[in-house]
Amino acid sequence: MSAQEKIDIDLFKVVFRAMAQSDNLEIMANHLTQLLVAALEIKGCTIFALNPESEELEVLASFGLSMNYVNKGPVLSDKSITDTFNGKPTVIRDVANTRHLQYPEDAKKEKIGAIVSIPIKFYGKVIGALRLYHHELWDVSEKDVDSLFVLAENIGLAMTYTRVLKAIKTIKYTVDDIHGLWLLEEQ
Amino acid sequence: MAIQKILIPYNFTQIDQKAIDFVIETFSHLRDIEVGVFNAYTAAPEIETDASLITGKLKSSLSYLSQKILEKGTELDSVKQKLILSGFTESRIETIFKPRKKDIASEIIQLALDRKYDVIVLNRKHSRATRFFSGSVSHKIVMSLKNTAVCIVS
Repeated sequence: MSAQEKIDIDLFKVVFRAMAQSDNLEIMANHLTQLLVAALEIKGCTIFALNPESEELEVLASFGLSMNYVNKGPVLSDKSITDTFNGKPTVIRDVANTRHLQYPEDAKKEKIGAIVSIPIKFYGKVIGALRLYHHELWDVSEKDVDSLFVLAENIGLAMTYTRVLKAIKTIKYTVDDIHGLWLLEEQ
Repeated sequence: MAIQKILIPYNFTQIDQKAIDFVIETFSHLRDIEVGVFNAYTAAPEIETDASLITGKLKSSLSYLSQKILEKGTELDSVKQKLILSGFTESRIETIFKPRKKDIASEIIQLALDRKYDVIVLNRKHSRATRFFSGSVSHKIVMSLKNTAVCIVS
């Protein structure tokens, strides 16, 4: 497969509109994985959130992969495509010839041929990963990797924004719950 | 004894299977039980029709993916079969497969209120990071519903 560019401005428009139209992180992340699978004609896509304490990658949204593969075991940031957690995108062109995978046998069983892993960052810190899985060898172009990097940065912004929104809503509910009497207001 | 209605949100994972096993162990010997197995899926996004080649192609790929997503609904039938084999009455098991419009907790709450479920059996994954970003489903359900027993299988 040649390194043909597949991500252009039209695709960006579709993807960013899908992001902008959803106020729910899970639905937005699911739509993103579906759009990337459809547009890039790949096997699957997963968006992970990084648990900074356990250093595990937790699945936020996934599409196209079997539940057995998604739930194969804990995905650890120091064992699975580690360069992602140094902030670098990683292209595994051929999963049969790599030492970067934590579960190489599961990848073979799932008939994954290639993986692209992009860090999701916020303010320079890695908070997750965007992973794309192809069913065959994949010579992804440098420009497409760059485009995915930009997309992942926006996912990082969306994750952080929805978290802040959630915190504000919680504060609002708490404030709404306060009775005037408890603030010694006249009734 | 009045019929007890049990709702099991199900997302095809191993831990969901644990929730099913819990319901079988706890309720299969009782007669007046109705069970609802529920999955809310994310429908493929709708994209604006555009003259561009890529969006036209994308649209047809998404319509293929939509079919694949809908096929997933038939997998709920295997859960129904398992419940029947474990002693539940076939006519009292319902599978509910619908597109989600809001967060999963709100979908479960809405269904529980609309169909007046008495018990909800949830599972809880130890996913601290995803909970941080998208919120705790079990917490929202417990805080929102009244007169409903919520069991959490962990």
